Amino acid sequence: MFDPKLKEALSRVQKPGRYTGGEPGSVYKDKDKVDVRFAFCFPDTYEVGMSFLGEKILYELLNAHENWWCERAFMPWIDMKAEMERLQLPLYTMESKDPLTAFDAVGFTLQYELSYTNILAMLDLAGIPFYSKDRDGSWPLIVAGGPCACNSEPIADFFDVIQLGEGEQQLPSICAEIEKGKKEGIGREELLLRIARIPGVYIPVFYDVTYCEDGRIKAITPNRPGVPAVVTKAIVKDLNEFAPPTNFVVPMVGAIQDRASIEVLRGCVRGCRFCQAGFLYRPMRQRDAGLLNRAARDLCANTGYEEISLSSLSTSDHSQLENILDDLLEWTPQQHVSLSLPSLRMDNFSQSMVEKTSRVRKSGLTFAPEGGTQRLRDVINKNLTWEEIENSCNIAFAEGYTSVKLYFMMGLPTETMEDIEGIAETAQRIVELYYKNPDKPKGKGVQVTISCACFVPKPHTPFQFVPQDSKETLEAKQKHLLASVHSKKIRVNYHDSRTSFLEAVFAKGDRRLAPVIVEAYKKGCYFDSWEEHFHYDTWLQTFEQLGVDPHFYANRFIELDEVTPWSHMDYGVTHEFLVREYNKALGAQTTPPCNRACHGCGANHLLGGPCFDYSKNLV
Amino acid sequence: MTTVRIWFEKRGEASYISLLDLQRVMQRVIKRSGVPVWYTLGFNPHIYMTFTCPLPLGQESLCESVDVKTEAEHQDFEQWKTALNAAMPTGITVFKVEPVQMKATLIGFADYEVRCPASFQPALDSYNALPSAQVQKKTKRGFKSIELKEYMPVLDYKTEEDGLVFAVRLPASGDLNLNPSLLAGFLQQQYEVPACEVAILRTALWTAENQPFI
Repeated sequence: MFDPKLKEALSRVQKPGRYTGGEPGSVYKDKDKVDVRFAFCFPDTYEVGMSFLGEKILYELLNAHENWWCERAFMPWIDMKAEMERLQLPLYTMESKDPLTAFDAVGFTLQYELSYTNILAMLDLAGIPFYSKDRDGSWPLIVAGGPCACNSEPIADFFDVIQLGEGEQQLPSICAEIEKGKKEGIGREELLLRIARIPGVYIPVFYDVTYCEDGRIKAITPNRPGVPAVVTKAIVKDLNEFAPPTNFVVPMVGAIQDRASIEVLRGCVRGCRFCQAGFLYRPMRQRDAGLLNRAARDLCANTGYEEISLSSLSTSDHSQLENILDDLLEWTPQQHVSLSLPSLRMDNFSQSMVEKTSRVRKSGLTFAPEGGTQRLRDVINKNLTWEEIENSCNIAFAEGYTSVKLYFMMGLPTETMEDIEGIAETAQRIVELYYKNPDKPKGKGVQVTISCACFVPKPHTPFQFVPQDSKETLEAKQKHLLASVHSKKIRVNYHDSRTSFLEAVFAKGDRRLAPVIVEAYKKGCYFDSWEEHFHYDTWLQTFEQLGVDPHFYANRFIELDEVTPWSHMDYGVTHEFLVREYNKALGAQTTPPCNRACHGCGANHLLGGPCFDYSKNLV
Repeated sequence: MTTVRIWFEKRGEASYISLLDLQRVMQRVIKRSGVPVWYTLGFNPHIYMTFTCPLPLGQESLCESVDVKTEAEHQDFEQWKTALNAAMPTGITVFKVEPVQMKATLIGFADYEVRCPASFQPALDSYNALPSAQVQKKTKRGFKSIELKEYMPVLDYKTEEDGLVFAVRLPASGDLNLNPSLLAGFLQQQYEVPACEVAILRTALWTAENQPFI
C-alpha cells in the first residue's frame, strides 16, 4: 500500500487516479536489481503527458534493457501540488513512488515554451536545485530533449545535458554512459565529457556566450577541448529499424489522446515556412506498410484500444497510405477498432480515403488552410488552392460530414487586413458549398469553425528573422475577423495574443532569460499554458524588475547575418536555405514538396545521400 | 446467450479508479484478454457490461462484480479468470467467474470494514453514547434525512496495532444505499476528526433476506 502521507493527499484531491500509477502496460522492476534508473518527466498534467507518443517510444526502448528502469512523473495539478507541499511529500514517479532524487537521471521533454515554469515547479517539488552549477555529482543528471531543444538557451542553465534531434539511439547511449560511469566511479565533469561525444548531445556548461553592446549575441564558443563548435542533431536514418512501440501504458483517467497511435512517417516534405516541425524533423522518412500493419495489430492486441490513429506531420504524404489502410481494414472491423487519420492534407484528400476512414466511425473534419488568401498561402508556402479546398469539402459533405474545422494563423509576414477578410470569406464559401451540394446529409445544417492562432516566429524556420506582430496589431486583426463573419453557421475561436507573445519571447530567447523564468516561478507562475493560471501581468513585472526587455526577443527583426542564440545548433537545414526561402516568401514564390524535386536544404547530409529516389515517380 | 459475472477485488491503486473510468478500463481489459464477450449491436458496438454495485472513489472492496454476456458455449471460466487477471491494472484481481445466478436488484445489504486512527477513539465513544445521529444524504431528488443510529446503533470497535477497526452492515439496495462515508462525515462534523483518514473496505454483499449474494 501507499505511504500514509500519499494516501492523505490522494483523499483530498480531484481525480486521484492521476497520481497512483498501476495502469495496464506500466513497467515494474526490482529497483535493487537495476543499474540505471531514469525518471521521464512530462512538465504538464497526467492527461496531457499520457497523450504524448514520444514518451511511449522511449519508455518501451529503455525498459527493454533488463537492467534499466524508466519510470514516469508528471506535473501535479494545483490541488495536488499544494497537498504535496503541505505534507512535504517530494515529487515521485508513478511506478516505484520513489522521489526524483533517487534516480540516476531525470529527463524532461520540452514540448512547449510555456511549460518551462512547470519544469522548475517539478524540480522544486523534488527538492532539486534549479541551476546545473548548483548541483554536484550527488544529484541526478538533469537532461532534456524534444522540439524546444532546438533553442533551449532560455532554460539551458538548468540542464546538465540537452538532446538535439531524435532520441531512439541517443537516449540509450546516454544511459549506457551513465551505467558505465557509475561502475567506474567517475565524476560529473568526466561523465559530461563522455556524453558530449554522443551525436546530438549539447552540454550547455561547455559553451560560453558573449554579447555585443546593443544586446545582440557576439559569439557562442565551446570552452572545453574536443567539444564541437556546432552540435548536429541526432537522427534515425532508417525508421524501419525502429518499429513503433507496441505496448502503451494505457491511462485509466482519461488522457486527451486516449487511443492507439502509430507513427507512419517522420518529417514532412511540404516546407511550410512557418512550421518549425517541418524543418526540425527533416528529411522525411517513412515506415513500410507491412511493418506498420503488424505494429498496429500488436498495439491494439496489447492495449485493448478501440481506436487507432495513423499519426505524423502529414499522413497523406505516405507513399503507401492506401495500402496501409487496406491492410488495416482487413482486421480492424472484426476487432471493433476504428481508424482515424489526424493529419490529412486537402490537396490529396481522396474519395476512397474518406470511405476507408469513415467505415467504422465518423468524426469531424479538420483542415488547415493557415492563410485566408492565395497570396498569403503562397507567402507561407502552404501550397493549397481554393479548388483543392472546394474539392475536399465536396467529397466530405457527400460522405455525410456536417462539420468542418479550419485552422488559420494571423500575424503572418506580409499580412494585411485583406488577408484577414479572406479567412471569413473562405469559411463563408464553404458554408455555401454545403448548401449547393446535392448529396449533403438531409435535414442537417453545416457548422464551420474557424480556429485562429497568433503566428509565432520560430527558430530554424525561414521566418525566424521576422518580428512578431504586436499585441495591439493582433487584437485589431482579431476584431476585424469577427466583424467580417456574417453567418451563424460560422464560429470563430482565437488564441490569446499574450500567450503567443510569451511563446515568441522564449522561442527566440537566450540565456539571459533564465533568471526571469526562475523569478516568475517564484512569484507563482506555473501552468502558464492553462488560461486560468496564466499571470501575464506577473510576467511583465518580472521582466521589468530584472531589466530584461521581452520585445527585444519577440518584436525585433533579426538581421540575416546575425548570430542567433541557436546558431550553434544544427538541424541539418543550412542558414543559406533559410535565407533563400525567406526571400522567396517576400516575393510570394512557392517551393514545391521536396519529394518531387530537391531544393537543397542541406538535410540530406544527415542521411549521407539523397532523401528520395527521384527516379521513381513518388507522387 | 449467457450472462457471466466477473467477481474481483479492487484494492490499493485501483481504489482510485472512478466508476466512469472503470467502465473504460474494463472495456479495454476484456478486449485485451480475448475472452469471447458479446458486443452491443448498432453503429457503435461496445462490450455489454454492467457493474452490479458500484463503489465510491477511494474505497476498497473484496466483492466487486461486473456482468458481461457471451454467446459462446461450454466456456472454461478458470481460463477467463487467468486471461483477465493477466490484463488487469495493479490492484484489481479477479477471483471468480461464473454464470449469473442472482440479479443485481436482489442486493439488499453490504458489509464494510472501517479502519480509523487510534485518535478517533473519543469520537467513536461519544457516537456510541449518542441517542440520535441525524445526517443528510444527497440523493437524486434532493436531500434525505437519515438516522445513522437506526443502522449503526453501536460501533463495536477493536483496537489493533495500526488503529481502530469495526464492521458494519448497511442497506445497499436501489431504494436505499448507505455508505460508511456518511458516518465518517458525521464524525468529522461533530468531533473534528478527519474523514479522509477513515479507510473503508467492502467485504461482502447480501440479499434483502440476509442470504449471501452470488
